[in-house]
Amino acid sequence: MSDKADIQDYLAAFDDIPGTRIYTAKRAREGYHLNQFAMSLMKAENRDAWKADEKAYLQRWPMSEAQKEAVLARDYNRLLDLGGNIYFLAKVFSTDGLSFVQAVSTMTGMTVEEYQAMMNAGGRSPKGVRSIKDAY
Amino acid sequence: MARISAGVATSHVPLLGVAVDQGKTGDAYFGPIFAGYDWTKRWVAEQKPDVIVLVYNDHASAFDANIIPTFAIGTGEQFKPADEGWGPRAVPDVSGHPDLAWYIAQSLILDDFDMTIINQMDVDHGLTVPLSMMFGTPAAWPAKVIPLAVNVVTYPVPSGNRCWMLGEAIRRAVESFPEDLNVQIWGTGGMSHQLQGQRAGLINAEWDNRFMDSLIGDSDAVRRIPHIEYLRETGSEGIEMVMWLIMRGALGQRTRLLHRHYHVPCSNTAIGHLVLEPD
Repeated sequence: MSDKADIQDYLAAFDDIPGTRIYTAKRAREGYHLNQFAMSLMKAENRDAWKADEKAYLQRWPMSEAQKEAVLARDYNRLLDLGGNIYFLAKVFSTDGLSFVQAVSTMTGMTVEEYQAMMNAGGRSPKGVRSIKDAY
Repeated sequence: MARISAGVATSHVPLLGVAVDQGKTGDAYFGPIFAGYDWTKRWVAEQKPDVIVLVYNDHASAFDANIIPTFAIGTGEQFKPADEGWGPRAVPDVSGHPDLAWYIAQSLILDDFDMTIINQMDVDHGLTVPLSMMFGTPAAWPAKVIPLAVNVVTYPVPSGNRCWMLGEAIRRAVESFPEDLNVQIWGTGGMSHQLQGQRAGLINAEWDNRFMDSLIGDSDAVRRIPHIEYLRETGSEGIEMVMWLIMRGALGQRTRLLHRHYHVPCSNTAIGHLVLEPD
């Protein structure tokens, strides 16, 4: 029962989900050094060097200027656009002492309190945010 | 002969590990989540599985962006809890079962599943949180664990159908292992959640519950759910539910429900938990 998906259709459909960046091979390539930078913060000595001088620490990584700026600004939506993956970026916000809820809420345009209240009330409904094209 | 006696599905939210480690499992927020695991804790203590094949995903802990195995099996003697950026969890090391793990690896490769074999790796919350949920806080984990890591982060991740077939092949491998072992298979991750972008916080209780329904009995419709449906309906991280299909595939044609639990929210995530038996 191998009904192999056409790769072009398979990938194109991902762009039809509102407010979502699927971590495709294209993003994984663009974000490789960004994600490896984030991964480096798993080590205590690297976290110390990063905290001591963020800009200097970033110079060790062949990332684009846009990626470096977005890291310094903790602009997580921008970082997703530039190839960052949330599980790698988690090393950056964990080093900042933020929880997943705190960091994730920054991507939604809501305050942490608003976001937490939405989650406690059952989360965001999929209604209307499943598809851009078909708006359902 | 070895046999697969049961399957367990559970979410593996890191915050659950924090709740266990900080003794908060009975408070107002976590109490209702953990209460849904009380039945399973008693059941698993009676069942005394010798080995658990624990299907989970690594969250940029053991594997960075350099190596991305689709299916990896841990064949080592011991696996240490990973330092995920705030120090490793203070939980026991995980003991593997190299004899059975190597046997399964060989059998799977001969069965057309080209596994990645891992002798040494640290295991993150994806693996240790389910152990905490089922076993609490023992001095040593009461069962051997064979980690089976699945890429559900970098696309394309394996299809639901491929996951189901891997489960079937794991069952064939276990059932031909000459030693008499009680083996359980656990599928972890999910349920609906999205940790990124403006749509973060998505939860779809209706879809999640339909998915759980369809793992009970003899339906195999879930194996044909395309990735895009998981993503649209259950959020970008809801795709982890394909790992439940490895568990389901290993239970054979029919399953019987022993226990079921669902709760929203835990952190950003819908908690789902099933205990199934081959029927």
